[in-house]
Amino acid sequence: MSRELGAFRLEVVGALVRVSLLSAMQYRASFFAEFMVGALSAFGVAVPLLLVYARVPVIEGWNFDGALLVTGFFLLYNAFVAGLVEPNLGAVVDGVRTGELDYLLVRPVDAQLLISLRKVAPAAVWELVAGVAVVVVALARLGVPDWGTMALAAGLFVAGLAATYGLWLLVICTSFWFVRVDNLRFLLTAITDAGRWPVSVYGRGLRLLLTTLIPVALVSSFPAMALLGTLEEGHVATALGAAAGMLVLSRWVLRRALRNYASASS
Amino acid sequence: MRALRADSASQIVHALRAWPSIQQVAFSGMVAYRAEMVIWVLSATLPLVMLSLWNSAAAAGPVGGYGQVDFARYFAVNLVVRQLTGSWIVWELNWNIRKGELSPRLLRPMHPLVYNLCETFAALPFRAGILVPLVGVLALWRPELLFVPSFSAAVGFGVALLLAFVLAWTIQAIFGMLAFWFDQSMGFWSAWFALWAMASGYFVPLDLFPEGWVDFFRLLPFYSTLGAPIDVLLGKASMLSVFTGQVAWVVATGALAAWMWKAGIRRYGAVGA
Repeated sequence: MSRELGAFRLEVVGALVRVSLLSAMQYRASFFAEFMVGALSAFGVAVPLLLVYARVPVIEGWNFDGALLVTGFFLLYNAFVAGLVEPNLGAVVDGVRTGELDYLLVRPVDAQLLISLRKVAPAAVWELVAGVAVVVVALARLGVPDWGTMALAAGLFVAGLAATYGLWLLVICTSFWFVRVDNLRFLLTAITDAGRWPVSVYGRGLRLLLTTLIPVALVSSFPAMALLGTLEEGHVATALGAAAGMLVLSRWVLRRALRNYASASS
Repeated sequence: MRALRADSASQIVHALRAWPSIQQVAFSGMVAYRAEMVIWVLSATLPLVMLSLWNSAAAAGPVGGYGQVDFARYFAVNLVVRQLTGSWIVWELNWNIRKGELSPRLLRPMHPLVYNLCETFAALPFRAGILVPLVGVLALWRPELLFVPSFSAAVGFGVALLLAFVLAWTIQAIFGMLAFWFDQSMGFWSAWFALWAMASGYFVPLDLFPEGWVDFFRLLPFYSTLGAPIDVLLGKASMLSVFTGQVAWVVATGALAAWMWKAGIRRYGAVGA
């Protein structure tokens, strides 16, 4: 259907990002106030690690530097969700309820692109900075690996981001049928919080859940394992499979949802 | 001054008389949105994520005096206290002040803050109900965590829990009222919450912090809202010092909140009301 799948152009992406940045940066004071929050929450993720590793040198095969890497990737993931995914997909839920989504759907651009990149929450940049800093510190302590390893880690991280984005989109799509799902966002945030530790601290059942259905381990533990050289056979395939599966599934569900969408006013 | 006192006395009488109706209205609201409520409550499961880390760390032996069972017990009580002292007033005040929706509430014959306190109280049975499956799953996983506290510990826990509830609610109200001065005060609340999570015992039992830090953290308001009741129930802190700290913070924050309300309501009206 042409209504839901219009042109997918790069210049549209550029314009979307520019406009959303401009509109978010207008509250300069609050932007810099958020700096505190970003720094504090990064600190909050690191403090339990510092405390636990002050007493126990190795936990489930992970030493402090390895766990720190996981934390760094988790912060980067958080920045991605808080900065890009949540503001946009959250707005979809409101748009379905108020009917404002109509104005987006009539535009001659791919609907998924438009609903995914309309807004940026620039405060997330501080979490991004914190995440980069933590990863750099951990790598400096561990010794910088070769380029191939870093590329593998980066690739796994991107695959993890794709998978978690797909999961978010899936959850948001339920609003087309159930209208009031704002709070599912909070649930999702709460569950994905489990990604802050190396996935091996969880029991077997949870571990399976965190690498498949709620793929937050892909985004934090897997890239760290790539850098540490502890990836096992099948991990790369799992990550790529989850990413591709989630993306295809969420796009398919979104198309069905849009076809069902009757708009709040009709 | 006398007028003010008479005023607050009549407020209390009002609140007590209206209490059953508010309780009923609030509880019907909960039941109507039960799916949402369940999600809200489930979102507060961060203590369980923390528990998994400490549980793995203590696999080979106790860490800082806490074995695996102690950690499970600590975080189970943590979950209970957090749930029973929770409220939403910071979000509500923020929204109502910014959108001018506080105005109709001011016309009611009851103080909007007192009304909210009643509502928050009314939500307690629901929150307690949600705790049953959460703690139940924990207890199935590690049955040893269940224990019968001594009578004095149980009573002390009740008192500390009540004080923690009042203090947590007052602090949230203070941050909500900041919206009188800054249209959007959620940023301040996020910063407070990040500090709170570290210094209250939410992430880590405070006695696992290095020597010296513990005593300092126990003086702060964060501890009085969460760690204090946990420590009383588990017998890790003297009740007298815990209660003293809690009462002091309730008085201080209560005075601040009362002053903020008076000053804030005078400013209010600028926001499209």
